[in-house]
Amino acid sequence: MAFDPRREDYQRLALRYAQSLPKGDPVAAAKAFADFGRRFARDRDTLPQSDADRAFHLVAVAAEIIDYQLPFSSEARADKLISRGRDLLDEAISLDPKCHDAIRMRASRLSPSFDAQFTFLQEGADEVLATCQAARDAVPDDGDDERMALGRDIALRPYRRWMAALAEEALICGRNRSCIEAGERLLEHDPSDQADVRFTLALAYAKLEDQASLDALATRYGAIVPPRAADDAWMGIARLALAHKNHDMGLARQLLERLIDTYPGYASALITQTELPDGVFARLAVPPYSEDELILAVSEATVLLQEGDDKSGRGVLGSWIARTTAKLHPEALTEAQEYSTPYYQQGGKGPQGGDAS
Amino acid sequence: MNGREELVLRCAQRRREKIGALSDEGFAELCLAVRENPTAFVDSPELASFATLVGALDAFARAGADDDLLDDDEFRSAREHRLQTLSAACAQALSQDSGCLDAQLVQVLAADLDPDDRLDALLEIEAKADKAAELNLGATGDAWDDIFARPRLRLWDAIARTCLAGSRFRMALDVSRGLMAASPKDQVGGRLTAALALARLEDEEGFNELDARLAGRENSWLNLGRTILLYKLGRMTAARRALRGYGELCEGAAYALLRPTFVEIYLPDRPEVPAGGFEEATFAVHEAEPIIADVPDFVAWADGFPWFHAAANAYAEEHGYDW
Repeated sequence: MAFDPRREDYQRLALRYAQSLPKGDPVAAAKAFADFGRRFARDRDTLPQSDADRAFHLVAVAAEIIDYQLPFSSEARADKLISRGRDLLDEAISLDPKCHDAIRMRASRLSPSFDAQFTFLQEGADEVLATCQAARDAVPDDGDDERMALGRDIALRPYRRWMAALAEEALICGRNRSCIEAGERLLEHDPSDQADVRFTLALAYAKLEDQASLDALATRYGAIVPPRAADDAWMGIARLALAHKNHDMGLARQLLERLIDTYPGYASALITQTELPDGVFARLAVPPYSEDELILAVSEATVLLQEGDDKSGRGVLGSWIARTTAKLHPEALTEAQEYSTPYYQQGGKGPQGGDAS
Repeated sequence: MNGREELVLRCAQRRREKIGALSDEGFAELCLAVRENPTAFVDSPELASFATLVGALDAFARAGADDDLLDDDEFRSAREHRLQTLSAACAQALSQDSGCLDAQLVQVLAADLDPDDRLDALLEIEAKADKAAELNLGATGDAWDDIFARPRLRLWDAIARTCLAGSRFRMALDVSRGLMAASPKDQVGGRLTAALALARLEDEEGFNELDARLAGRENSWLNLGRTILLYKLGRMTAARRALRGYGELCEGAAYALLRPTFVEIYLPDRPEVPAGGFEEATFAVHEAEPIIADVPDFVAWADGFPWFHAAANAYAEEHGYDW
């Protein structure tokens, strides 16, 4: 599952609240907890929380603004959203100087180049891991195994987001081996792959035309939580890219059809090939097999699609996918032409519709 | 391709086959005679076809001599016209001998297709050629020594470069390696395409192997490839040293990287240029363009070194180029 900032904010405070409840009085605890939801929504400041919790709340609000509102806002509103996001992140860091989510997100706006952001993330990785592990070890044992496991898990998430961002940045920089190194390190640390870093890895293996490693990655889907087959759009695009690169055009066409069948009704996304800004908190949380997921995967696969010396400017693979999809599904072409204006200029029509939940 | 010279060798070779036994000295004399007047020795559809192509390629180059004086639109339409003329000449050559591989190759290249379509067309030519005759190493262990095998090597080279332009890097590498195996002398430059493909695939081991095979014979492709490879692998100090090596090998190399210019399609193969000159760097950068575009901050990184920037600037000033 992708990271949902609002949900995580809620989980943090719920855990803190549960720990503050009197032990050994289940009735009182249940009653108090009934109260929690209301207070979280309306009276948040009355809930027990650490500076780190407060900082994370600001991160969650900033993530909402930058990742889910900004891409769909008018130009007039954009500046305001950007400065609001920046202020929230600054405040988060002043509350919790080790708020690595905020530090990472702020850097992504300040770094002058992809390379600078890549270097920043790479150099910070060990320190982030140490901080997160210390936070994990500091989670109190209140006798509730499930709660403790969640607390420990939450403590490690900033590290996972950091590494996932590092892998993504490396891919964008054309540093595919570094991408694989970071992604594999994260996958080893978290085989359940909360960060969905395997999606980024699939693209990197395709970039290096490493079929064996891509196949090996598919076998590791068994450990994914919640379970998911290796038929997501990232894997699908990586496989068909490899077939195209091997000049096995029949197979490439078959794999494209399979991808379209996995995301029925959304083939126009393969023609439009919209490029979205990457989520600065994490990859946007979208439902599996949704149109939004396909749009996201196509956008991240830009590094594969737009490569090569093609006169259309779309890249060799990108133009082949668009052409072949249009031939297979003429209705998708019509749809893509209707929406040929960029998504952010269309009233309200866009991935997520600005809603993160 | 040195068309004139190849026409001479072809005519002499065919004449030798007719005469029968001929000593090496006798062959050398025959070559001199052909060089004096090649037309007199063009006595078969095969040779006539090749002669037509050679004439057309010369005419294409001559017609483009004044391109520098044209503005962008004029240049575009003049170039299109020239390519059409060349294509028509290829058709004429093929009407004389439909088996003229170089004419088939040039005709496809002159169509200026996108990499996918170009690759299909080239592979079709290769499949037919392969059915007619398998490429072998010949008596000397190098296919290049057989004048009639050279078109196949040029075809493979075009396939390898088309793979590179179409982001098929492993295939580009495989074809280049096949090329080097068929012709260890590697006159057509399979190693150059291989170096760029290995850099893009971040295959350091493969790159070092190639480097060792070339035994220190540096060139712009290798040096630029090494720079990109080390940069991609994040070995920035070594990458900086490699950039210096690239910059110092060829005149104007820094300018070639920072201010890439239009390079005409290779018709049919990479033009021969003096080693260490500006054109060498220009061709290397041109061929590496798809790979450079894939490392978005690479050029800015190179430009960030004052010595590299200054070298480019100085070259531009010295030659009155735009900066």
